[in-house]
Amino acid sequence: MRNFEDDPALADLLTPNQIQRLSEGLSALCREPVLITEQRLNESVPVEFNLETIGWLSGGASASEREAAAGLVSFLMLFVAKYRLAANLHHDTTEASYAELQRQNAALKASEARYRELSDQLQQQVDEQVAVIRQTQQELYESARLRSVGHLAAGVAHEINNPVGFISSNLRVARDYVDNLEPLLPDTADNRDMLGDFSDLLSESIEGTDRIARIVADLKTFASIDQADNALCDLNSLLLSAIHLVQTEYDHNLTIIESLGELPRIPGHPSRLSQTLFNLLDNAAQAIGNDGRILVRTQADDAGIQVTIQDNGCGIPDSIRSQVFDAFFTTRPVGSGAGLGLTVARDTVHAHGGQLTLDSQEEAGTRVILVLPAKQGA
Amino acid sequence: MPDFSPEDNKLALKVVFYGPALSGKTTNLMQLHSLLNPERKGELMVLETRDDRTLFFDMLPIGLRSRSGLDLRLKLYTVPGQVQHDSTRKAVLSRADGVVFVADSQIAQQDNNAIAFGNLEDNLDKVGLDIDTVPMVVQFNKRDLPNVVEETELQGRWAGTPWAPLSMASALKGEGVIETFRVLLDRLYTVIDSEFDLAGRHDIDRTTFIRRLSASHGGDDA
Ligand SMILES: Nc1nc2c(ncn2[C@@H]2O[C@H](COP(=O)(O)OP(=O)(O)OP(=O)(O)O)[C@@H](O)[C@H]2O)c(=O)[nH]1
Ligand SMILES: [Mg+2]
Repeated sequence: MRNFEDDPALADLLTPNQIQRLSEGLSALCREPVLITEQRLNESVPVEFNLETIGWLSGGASASEREAAAGLVSFLMLFVAKYRLAANLHHDTTEASYAELQRQNAALKASEARYRELSDQLQQQVDEQVAVIRQTQQELYESARLRSVGHLAAGVAHEINNPVGFISSNLRVARDYVDNLEPLLPDTADNRDMLGDFSDLLSESIEGTDRIARIVADLKTFASIDQADNALCDLNSLLLSAIHLVQTEYDHNLTIIESLGELPRIPGHPSRLSQTLFNLLDNAAQAIGNDGRILVRTQADDAGIQVTIQDNGCGIPDSIRSQVFDAFFTTRPVGSGAGLGLTVARDTVHAHGGQLTLDSQEEAGTRVILVLPAKQGA
Repeated sequence: MPDFSPEDNKLALKVVFYGPALSGKTTNLMQLHSLLNPERKGELMVLETRDDRTLFFDMLPIGLRSRSGLDLRLKLYTVPGQVQHDSTRKAVLSRADGVVFVADSQIAQQDNNAIAFGNLEDNLDKVGLDIDTVPMVVQFNKRDLPNVVEETELQGRWAGTPWAPLSMASALKGEGVIETFRVLLDRLYTVIDSEFDLAGRHDIDRTTFIRRLSASHGGDDA
């Protein structure tokens, strides 16, 4: 049956077994046996249900006996059909409800997926905003730091440069005077000792003032006090200044092997490049501890300038390598650095149109390669 | 949808009695069963609960055979009016060719009538039918009760609709039941005739259709 309401056939209402039992029961009541069939036989009368002939009844002793038996079967069919129709309708509605439920479920899933996508997009936007804020914050922090370091360096350089200058020249004049005094004094053993000592004292002091002058000069380079924001930079000299400053920080105990090739001057921001080189060297110095060494190499080709700073220190564990460039990340104890070093270095290099790559193996060392284009904007 | 099987020359139509719970749909059908004396009339099949509420549906088959040999069947169904049986209502309503909406005339039942009418509109839509085009008659039943809405007021309210004029009935007393059914047969004939050319091909004109399907025991008054 296609629909619950379609007219049922005899086979829809009774099984062959039930039809046979019904025939037998009726036969026992009639004077002659009767037979219920779906096909019309000789001398049979119709069995009707719902104005529909659903079968035929034959046999019996007379026409009236057949009519009576057929009427009884029709009467019984009414109750069988009631159940059948109700069951079919129930089946139909249950299937329809289930289909509806499935449709609702699918709609729910679709809307849930849309919602999830939306929330993902939202999360992504939040992440992007957070990144922008972080970046801005970091740049602000860094530029403030650079400015204060620059100011301090400028002040110190200015204040120290003049006195160091005249101390140094006075010391040289004083040493000349000591040389001049020598023939004028009686040539005694005491005088010779004293003059020799005097001369040595002055020479050491001159050496000391020379060192002070060099540090001041490095500081000036580092802070680029003398240079405009954008200038032609000599990477080698920026690198040497940075090396001197790092050595000063580590009491000149670092083993730094320099292998500097001839480099073209490149346009750039000297103080930011200096800061970058200093940060990279400072990282290397912290990584090697007491008995490592740092290799600094520069070379130039058609593409540009390549600076390699390589150490044989502790390296960066795999677990944190991907985080190395994240601002504020630091593997060192709190207070020993803001952790911005590598991020600032990378940002600076990017700002100069270059690339910074980090190559590290735990317990084997770290190599940082900095590539800068010879012409800016490349 | 009329179900025509050319091999047996048989046309089966379906009329559904719809309306709010307890409005008298089953009573209408029971009255038709006892009052009508059409050419062919089957058994009234009632599927009710213990307290007389329709559980699945009630059904009464009637029919006629035209001179051309067309075997015309009309199956009259009622739906269960209780709200919770909506999926059953939808299943019974599907493929309907005509609808008798049985409303309860009592003043207190007017909200239920409106809700049931809205439900009919929704369900017709869901089974692919349109309330504005399906042949339909609206009956206000239980006119014998005291607290009913005045007929003039009802007729006025429905005047602008495709279902004016309304049929008034007291199914309990058997009044207006056959009249309602005849209005439905009249509207049903228009649609079926335009599709199957009952008059031309089967020699069944409008009056024959109505008279032979709604002949009553009390003599032929149509
Ligand atoms: N006074 C009065 N009572 C009626 C009339 N018609 C039906 N009733 C009564 O109303 C009650 C409900 O009638 P039913 O015919 O079973 O109602 P129904 O619409 O089939 O109800 P559901 O099957 O639940 O949807 C019964 O007690 C009927 O006797 C009427 O014209 N007048
Ligand atoms: Mg009922």
